[in-house]
Amino acid sequence: MTDVYVIGIGMTQFGKHPDRTAAGLGAEAVRGAIHDAEIDPRAIRTAYAGHVFQPMVTGQQVLGQVGLAGIPLANVENACSSGATAIRGSFLDILAGEADVSLAFGTEHLTGAFKGAFTPGEDDPEAAVGATMPAVYAMRARRYMEEFGLTREQLARISVKNKRNAALNPLAHFKKDITIDDVLMAKPIAEPFGLLDCSPVSDGAAAVLLASGDWVKRHGDPSRAVRLSASALRTGKVETAPGSMTFEELTRDTANDAYERAGVGPEDIDFAEVHDCFTIAEVLRIEGLGLWEQGTYPAAVERGEADIGGRLPVNPSGGLLGKGHPLAATGVAQVVELVKQLRGDAGSRQIEGAKVGIAHCRGGKTVGVEGAACTVQILTK
Amino acid sequence: MTTRTPVSFRPHDLVVDDDGTGFLRGSRCPSCGAHYFPTREVCAGCLTEDLETIPLPTDGTLYTYTVVHRSTPAFEVPYVLGYVDLPGPVRVLGQIDADPEEVAIGMDVHLEIVPWGTNDEGTPLLGYRFAPGGDA
Repeated sequence: MTDVYVIGIGMTQFGKHPDRTAAGLGAEAVRGAIHDAEIDPRAIRTAYAGHVFQPMVTGQQVLGQVGLAGIPLANVENACSSGATAIRGSFLDILAGEADVSLAFGTEHLTGAFKGAFTPGEDDPEAAVGATMPAVYAMRARRYMEEFGLTREQLARISVKNKRNAALNPLAHFKKDITIDDVLMAKPIAEPFGLLDCSPVSDGAAAVLLASGDWVKRHGDPSRAVRLSASALRTGKVETAPGSMTFEELTRDTANDAYERAGVGPEDIDFAEVHDCFTIAEVLRIEGLGLWEQGTYPAAVERGEADIGGRLPVNPSGGLLGKGHPLAATGVAQVVELVKQLRGDAGSRQIEGAKVGIAHCRGGKTVGVEGAACTVQILTK
Repeated sequence: MTTRTPVSFRPHDLVVDDDGTGFLRGSRCPSCGAHYFPTREVCAGCLTEDLETIPLPTDGTLYTYTVVHRSTPAFEVPYVLGYVDLPGPVRVLGQIDADPEEVAIGMDVHLEIVPWGTNDEGTPLLGYRFAPGGDA
């Protein structure tokens, strides 16, 4: 079987872009990836475009702006996992021999699409009685507090850590360090969460170019190519009995698919980018991935083990809490960060000696299902 | 002036009797015994398509909760929201009709029928919440 490599990355500034469109942001990210890979864009054979709240065929609008036409493109919607699912499309095209170079991107102009607390779909029976996404995660946090003695301050430290990392990332939405008190004193959203426990509403786009191992040998720069060893996707199972809200079987199962494909285990992972849409979410993801045992991650954050320079840095890019969360761009931006770290190009947030990185996204909510779509990608240098 | 009779906000999920009492409806799989809320057409455990629609118990225990301070315009904040485990077993989300200070994980709660605004035609709607304590 062929190996798959990331040969180019591109990303826009994440933040509020009132005068831009999803297509314009997407085109900027795609051009960035093409320039980074230093390839003739005509080498690109297939493309996948992730977006959630944007006009239909936004992907084709992006291709039109960058002058690429004719190649197969599919628009992909998998809620917050849309961008990562787009990458899987390119990954599979290369494995199948349908393309030797494929483009995947995610773009979202979220500030133009909605305001306020994010809710599940309008027809969701839980939204009908008052569920919002922050409320659902806040309830998971409350249960975790009850079961494992998690404190409010420990939750706040996750936001402090990720915003500290974001301050080192020029493309991040948040630019400033914050304190635990800032988190505790922020406007309440859904207890125990305040505003700074929640990822912001951000605009942005990110793009990656994938290529086969053969293509990299013939045309590429092996010193800059980073191997995409696994790109796993799962859909949440309908629960036949009420399950735990403090452990993510979906994350564990998706991660196991990825570990098996990549031939590595949790003990081999040097750093992680995970879907910290809320502070508790980072805890649930990390423990689901098997990187820390259930109930132990919050204390590890307190000890600095997840800091850049710690035992296993988590969300060095700033994560969703710090870098921002333009839904479909998020999964692609995580892979952009993994590539920068593995190339040694991450500047002041560089993790020394990083060889294996993992990225995790989880998106969507439907009643009775523990998360709609989950993706796990493993990159190795 | 005509008085309109209140109706269930989600008639398929919530049945309200003439005396103002009511219950939620779920599904039970006759093959493997799994329970679901809301109702389903196919059992996710054994893929049986002959699920029974059943009334769900009205008493349960609170699995977890939050106090919501930011929501959509449809809801007046703050309100307490929680997941309630009903015998079956099945887990149902609902608002909790209690002061935040008196809410605790593991507490007994029971279903109550409450006014739930009006629909587009102006007909009053009835919804559900959970209140502390077992059924009176």
